[in-house]
Amino acid sequence: MSVLGELGSLVGWEQGRIFPAIYFDEEVYRREHARIFEGSWVPVGHADMVRNPGDYVTSYMGEVPVIVVRGRDGRVRVLVNKCRHRGNQVCLFDRGNVRGFTCSYHGWAYGTDGQLISVPGEEEFYHGALEREKWGLQEARVADFYGLLFATLNSAAPAFEDWLGEDVRWWLRYFVLAEPVGGLEALPGWHRYESPANWKLIAENFIGDNYHFAHTHTSWLRVRQAFQEQGIITPMTTAPHSALHGAGGKYSVTAGYRSGAPLGLGAMITYGEALHERDVEDARALGKEALEWVREREDRMSRALAGYEPRPAYFGHGLLFPNLGLMGYVSPMTGKHFMLFHPRGPQAHEIWQWTMVEREAPDSVKEIAVQRVYQGQHMAGVIAPDDVENFERIVEASHSPGTWRYPMNYEIHLGHDQDQLPHLPGNISAEPSEVNQREFYRFWLELMRPDGAKRGGQA
Amino acid sequence: MLTSADRQEIEQLLYREAHLLDERRFREWLDLLTEDIEYLMPLTEHVQGKVAPAGHPIIKDDKNTLRARVAKDETGWSHVETPVSMTCHLISNILIDEEGDGEASVKSSFIVRQARKLRDEAWWVGRRHDRLRRVDGQWLIARRRIHLDATVLPRGVSIFF
Repeated sequence: MSVLGELGSLVGWEQGRIFPAIYFDEEVYRREHARIFEGSWVPVGHADMVRNPGDYVTSYMGEVPVIVVRGRDGRVRVLVNKCRHRGNQVCLFDRGNVRGFTCSYHGWAYGTDGQLISVPGEEEFYHGALEREKWGLQEARVADFYGLLFATLNSAAPAFEDWLGEDVRWWLRYFVLAEPVGGLEALPGWHRYESPANWKLIAENFIGDNYHFAHTHTSWLRVRQAFQEQGIITPMTTAPHSALHGAGGKYSVTAGYRSGAPLGLGAMITYGEALHERDVEDARALGKEALEWVREREDRMSRALAGYEPRPAYFGHGLLFPNLGLMGYVSPMTGKHFMLFHPRGPQAHEIWQWTMVEREAPDSVKEIAVQRVYQGQHMAGVIAPDDVENFERIVEASHSPGTWRYPMNYEIHLGHDQDQLPHLPGNISAEPSEVNQREFYRFWLELMRPDGAKRGGQA
Repeated sequence: MLTSADRQEIEQLLYREAHLLDERRFREWLDLLTEDIEYLMPLTEHVQGKVAPAGHPIIKDDKNTLRARVAKDETGWSHVETPVSMTCHLISNILIDEEGDGEASVKSSFIVRQARKLRDEAWWVGRRHDRLRRVDGQWLIARRRIHLDATVLPRGVSIFF
């Protein structure tokens, strides 16, 4: 029997047992590409990347190359980067500003709205009979959620608001996108690197794995401590991290718990005076403007969340199903890492990362926030390369399907993930946990089952 | 005026540096950099038309940040360098020009092969543009710009260029 036929027994999320075949099998990969990356809503970028008419960035939905473009009419579209004549790519650049896209093969030309606008020899060779309006670039459905752009190639996928349930929208809006304090601003530039292993292994790392932090990143934590003791100041050695003392409680957040596409946030910290004092001290070193901004920001946040007590303050890491990784949320003085995990076959992925800062922060804050991005969870930072190394070793240890007979263990807090803060949306449970990994596979399995196409996936 | 002795010393410095890196003598390598070193790797992108520049580079380190990277490997707990990478830095096409302030502008090309564990490897190819300064009678590297010929990096960066 094929791996696909056994998915139900291979993905024992309720028992905390997942068999490794789902990370290596080709058929599983092909189905998840169709069901999830071509069948569901996936993140493609941010509206700031295409501020002006004609602005575009190229990205991917799984392995499908797409152009995210603001048309001359001001509307953002996501177009498949593939000429309808012979399937050649029509856009070769990472980003730009253009009037349209012309294919290099035979010269079919498309507008920024994806419409086919000119074809060489239209009268002479096609006798005026080519129905140009039927040969525009394939267009995805697009959703803009407080600037974050999502798309789906599936015309039968549910409405975006239904795909993201109410809990997920709440956490995204208030915490991931910082809407109550002015929102986030995306900086230009894709930071990209190849990474080994199946995309789900890095996705599950971000959705809930704060368990690995102390061990995988020991070397960094030691340097940080040594530099602090010696009084050597660098943006990263002074950067706060989620191992906080003196704050409120620390939790795992599962938005979409037992329902839809999950948003998991690890190491969520509730507000405490000591936490705000830490931010004030960090800001004081940056000057008066930073100090005033941090205080005012705290006021705005506390007003926006009046009634939620204890209230969430920060989180360590997160992931929105399927492949939007998040980091940099332990302080307003750290920049935000937005990472797209693009699958590249069952045993590889690419990480496409962009940087966000709080839009209304003064320049002094933005500057150090950005430094803490590229010196941290970034391809040349002091954190991410150690994660990649673990994935490389997982692949090396798993070439033989014989090794897939042994399940992997996802039992942390299994049966002990009760909601501890029922006044907040979603399920808020103990931390570090593997509840979010279990939830990731719960929903993944739903989409992958024979009837999973109903959730949004194509066959 | 750069003398031929200066030129020879600068060229030898780049070769000495490559050997220090390949022999993992990173503390000695740090001594070849001025205290105000700027170690920069810009982001390589293909852009079309008028667009804003990238918001930040791949790397922009000062000396303390470089020291932190070296110290990280010295803990013995840096997974990405356990076991250590084998590297070979091939430095070529060295072009030395004098700058008005007595400093030297030095361009070079590199191929670096990084081998990890059993089979894992990465090839890094590109150009460097350095600024060298004489400090206490010795040429030191005061600025380095590294232009990698890659838009998608082959792996995370855990070595020096």
